[in-house]
Amino acid sequence: MLTEKAKLLHCLSAEKFAAWELHLYLDTHPCDKTAQRMHEKHMARAEELREEYERKFGPLSTRTGEGCEWVKGPWPWEKGE
Amino acid sequence: MWTYDKKLQYPVKIKNPNPAYAKIIMDQYGGPDGELAASLRYLSQRYSMPCDELKGLLTDIGTEELAHFEMIGAMIYQLTRNLSCEEIKKQGFDAYFVTHTNGVYAAAASGMPWTAAYIQTKGDVLADLHEDLAAEQKARVTYDNILRLIDDPDIIDPIKFLREREIVHYQRFGEGLRIATDALDSKNYYLFNPSFDKPGK
Repeated sequence: MLTEKAKLLHCLSAEKFAAWELHLYLDTHPCDKTAQRMHEKHMARAEELREEYERKFGPLSTRTGEGCEWVKGPWPWEKGE
Repeated sequence: MWTYDKKLQYPVKIKNPNPAYAKIIMDQYGGPDGELAASLRYLSQRYSMPCDELKGLLTDIGTEELAHFEMIGAMIYQLTRNLSCEEIKKQGFDAYFVTHTNGVYAAAASGMPWTAAYIQTKGDVLADLHEDLAAEQKARVTYDNILRLIDDPDIIDPIKFLREREIVHYQRFGEGLRIATDALDSKNYYLFNPSFDKPGK
């Protein structure tokens, strides 16, 4: 059973992965308008999910966290929950 | 400049430690066709790339390889927790343990430390892109071999993800090679060294 935290991270990772895959595709197809639109859609959804995750469970990047909140584990290589 | 996301690109949650498996997987951490070699190869080759698409591609794939390096590191870490000295000896992890304890060190499965001699920056777009295409295939074969040797589903799942990434990167590099050859003199592909003969505009 996945916790709410794990589920939210899973959805965020899926959106970020889709956006990243399109980002690589656009390196070699920079003028593909359909891929550009799909990329924007996944980026926007990932951003919403990132905000929700960080509001509930703490910072995911050095842009959004520092001090106690940033250093607090589990770190990504630790199994956590 | 890089920024760090405090998450893995794909989850790694291994329930059962297994130092023998850690040693096998280590080949993709610090081995000749591993993720560290891939990342440093692409991030170094990008300086002599003649077109913008290729500078972007090598920067982005080189960056993604660092995320894969972290996933492999997480797998080695999780596979080597809470071991007894008996387990370490029984599973053939003693030679590694005596040098590195439970630290994660960039070496091949054979124990050979990572070396820059695994990679090349030739400063020639055709030579470098062909190396990159070969590197993705060699990494894919290493993942195939890991999948032949390992039966734990917690390991198989992230390894299959990484194997698929090699295939996607191979595709992107193939497109990159096409972009490069389209931009070269079609009567003179193999006599042309753009980074030397035509320094950046």
